[in-house]
Amino acid sequence: MTRWGLLALAAALVAYPWLVAGSDSAAFLQDMGALVLLAAIGASAWNIVGGYAGQISVGHAMFFGAGAYLPLLVYQHWQLPPLVGVPLGIAASLVIAVLIGFPTFRLTGHYFSMATIAVAELVRIVVGNWDFLGAAIGLQGPATARGWYDVIFRSSVPYYYIFLAVLALLILATWQMQRSRLGYYLGAIRAGERAARSLGVPVRRYKLYALMLSATFTSLAGSLYALKTGFIDPDSGLGILVSVQMIITAALGGAGTLFGPLLGAAILVPLQTATNTWLGGSGSGLTYIVYGGVIVLIARFEPGGLVELWHRLHAARRRRLEMRHAA
Amino acid sequence: MLLSAEKVAKHFGSFRAVAGADLAVEEGEIVGLIGPNGAGKSTFFNCIAGDAAPTSGRIVFAGVDVTAAPAERHARLGIGRTFQVPATFEDMTILDNVMVGAFLRHKHRGEARDRALAVLELTGLKEQARQRARSLGTPGRKRLEIARVLATGPRLMLLDEALAGLTPGEVQRAIELVRAIHAQGVTLVIVEHIMEVILTLTRRVLVFNQGHVIASGKPQDVVKDPAVIEAYLGRGHAQAKGSG
Amino acid sequence: MILLQVIAGGLLLGAVYALFSSGLSLIWGMMNFINFAHGEFVMLGMYAALLTVLWLGGGPGVFGLAAAMALFLLGVVVYFGLIREVMRGPMLAQILSTFGLALLLRYAAFWIFSPDFVTLPQTSLSGTVDLGGILLTVPQLVAGLVAAVLTLAMHLLLTRTAIGSQLLAVAEDRNAAMLMGIRPDRMQALAWGLSAASAGIAGALMAISFPFSPAVGETFALTAFVVVTLGGFGSVPGAMLAGLIVGLIEALSAYWIGPIYKDVVVYGLFVALLWLRPQGLLGRA
Repeated sequence: MTRWGLLALAAALVAYPWLVAGSDSAAFLQDMGALVLLAAIGASAWNIVGGYAGQISVGHAMFFGAGAYLPLLVYQHWQLPPLVGVPLGIAASLVIAVLIGFPTFRLTGHYFSMATIAVAELVRIVVGNWDFLGAAIGLQGPATARGWYDVIFRSSVPYYYIFLAVLALLILATWQMQRSRLGYYLGAIRAGERAARSLGVPVRRYKLYALMLSATFTSLAGSLYALKTGFIDPDSGLGILVSVQMIITAALGGAGTLFGPLLGAAILVPLQTATNTWLGGSGSGLTYIVYGGVIVLIARFEPGGLVELWHRLHAARRRRLEMRHAA
Repeated sequence: MLLSAEKVAKHFGSFRAVAGADLAVEEGEIVGLIGPNGAGKSTFFNCIAGDAAPTSGRIVFAGVDVTAAPAERHARLGIGRTFQVPATFEDMTILDNVMVGAFLRHKHRGEARDRALAVLELTGLKEQARQRARSLGTPGRKRLEIARVLATGPRLMLLDEALAGLTPGEVQRAIELVRAIHAQGVTLVIVEHIMEVILTLTRRVLVFNQGHVIASGKPQDVVKDPAVIEAYLGRGHAQAKGSG
Repeated sequence: MILLQVIAGGLLLGAVYALFSSGLSLIWGMMNFINFAHGEFVMLGMYAALLTVLWLGGGPGVFGLAAAMALFLLGVVVYFGLIREVMRGPMLAQILSTFGLALLLRYAAFWIFSPDFVTLPQTSLSGTVDLGGILLTVPQLVAGLVAAVLTLAMHLLLTRTAIGSQLLAVAEDRNAAMLMGIRPDRMQALAWGLSAASAGIAGALMAISFPFSPAVGETFALTAFVVVTLGGFGSVPGAMLAGLIVGLIEALSAYWIGPIYKDVVVYGLFVALLWLRPQGLLGRA
């Protein structure tokens, strides 16, 4: 993306809540904006390990869930500000990341993917049956703010800006990673693990770095979700659909690209909201059929997502223009 | 002694790819490894490079026992290798390919980049630094692999048929490059089928057949050895050649 | 006595696990590919059996065969339509392809069949059998025995027949197989058909004993993953053995700890397996 494009994007994102403030459905649009950003954070976090490192986690919900459950847990049981639980969620996510990554990253990629589903499911069952963690009912946050530290706002707009700040931080971190040794090594691992090893790349260790970074930000996304909605249960926090959402959002926009996840979020969140409004409850059933179909299509025809599609069409157009000039 | 491989064997089930091979390389040498296809040369290379764990035997490099060590460790200690079928990172630029190598000894992007550019200069790829690796033909890819490995700062380089499939002109240029690398202090072990390369570059040659070394010595002597001729061409030819 | 019953039940169900997991193992060993939709294939086998009974009537032979044929066809179609292309692409595409397929099949099934649990209306296999104090239902016994026979048959097909050795040749070395005149494409499609069929029949067999819904596919997929990992990469005999072990562990966990946590035990053991012995019991290097 060019520098001007980046500036325009940043300006648009910063100005968005203000731009829609005048319309009838201002609150709705601002809320959707916040949800788009939250989805982008989750997808960008998945992108680090799934896109850049090429290790496909299909159970990322467990990190999201850890980040969502711990803040509400410390509130519900000990009346602590949910913020206290945010680093705890990250710590729990890192433990899970190492538990899964350490044994599987020395094996072929399938083991890692299988392990992510298995552990995510394991966590979901345990949490869903343990009263201390809310069991099937879930956990709740403070109904009203006791102070700034409860991070409760009436309007979506403050949340919007908090999410925007986190997303900006995440994108910046990803950009830095891409340019660093970690980024190059991950690219090499993805492009050819055997060759990478022969060049001294410590494959297992670097995959773990990527997973831990990804888990940290995914956990943060979960925490932000919990802070905003004030509620979590096994479905909304640990269900497979949470993982699916992250994957399709990143893959549609472009896994392994910097802005692909944000693009995916900007398309999918409004689309999903629209279908939910049109079709109601039955809509969600149809949504996941479509999601499944879209993921298959992406895998089959354009694994690089819309960003890759754009590049391909752009290159084809340039070639046609060149040929026309030559003729 | 820089590298010492003793009685290295590699079995795949009942198939003995390498059936007990020895190799001793002093620092600064260029040693050749020849033999018919399927003789076990590449597998032997893989064992030395750490790509495959030997079934038995011992490999010591610069005083460190690396027999069971993974490939990453071998590379860190200073063993670099190229692949028989080039394994360049296709979608990355040529510069980025080499930077991956450079990052081994240079933690920061700026230094790695400088080192990569220097290596590209040496290997004559600097002009194409920004192109994708996939835009190169096979000779270019082989050159890129050499550049990439060189960027890791190896003490010992294992070249696996790095000159195969090149035109005579390209072979000459490649020989120059290998000489330049050697001049920088890198020890080399090269697997080759092109006799000219072996005779020009190496001072010592080992001949592999059916998993072990059947002859070793100066290249001029080895090519006349009846056992070697038999290995390549069959019994009849060795007898026809007489005592050479 | 109850314990022996639990063990017997676990082994019988384990035989069914062995059946569908062998199918997954076949593909994994042959193409280095894990089909994340394999659980859904089992689930579809159950529904194929249901539809056959509802539309055509007929006993276990009929609906078992129908499930096998329907899923064989699906396997071949999926191979030619999706897998063959995706195999040439990056890992992301390979894993997402069948993962997306799993979602598609599962939610399509939810849409078409409703999320309610259903049972297979059949009466030819009913009643209980008393084997020296151990009480087993006829469906349970039949399912386990038939599964064991079919799994063995698959193993023999692979190791003793001409077509089996062709399949294994492609698994071993694709290029060499091509040079010998074997068409890898056809063999791989056949493998997919067999793999899916094994899942389909296994589903039909389980449908005789248990109520099912579109949600069960997810659990079967995980069971299959654990079994093939325990069995070892690409080893069909390993999957056979591991299936029995997993069935047994599951049954004992349900008995001692409770049905809710049986899956937790199995998945926990999976993680332990990855840490301690990822090559499984009979895995190739």
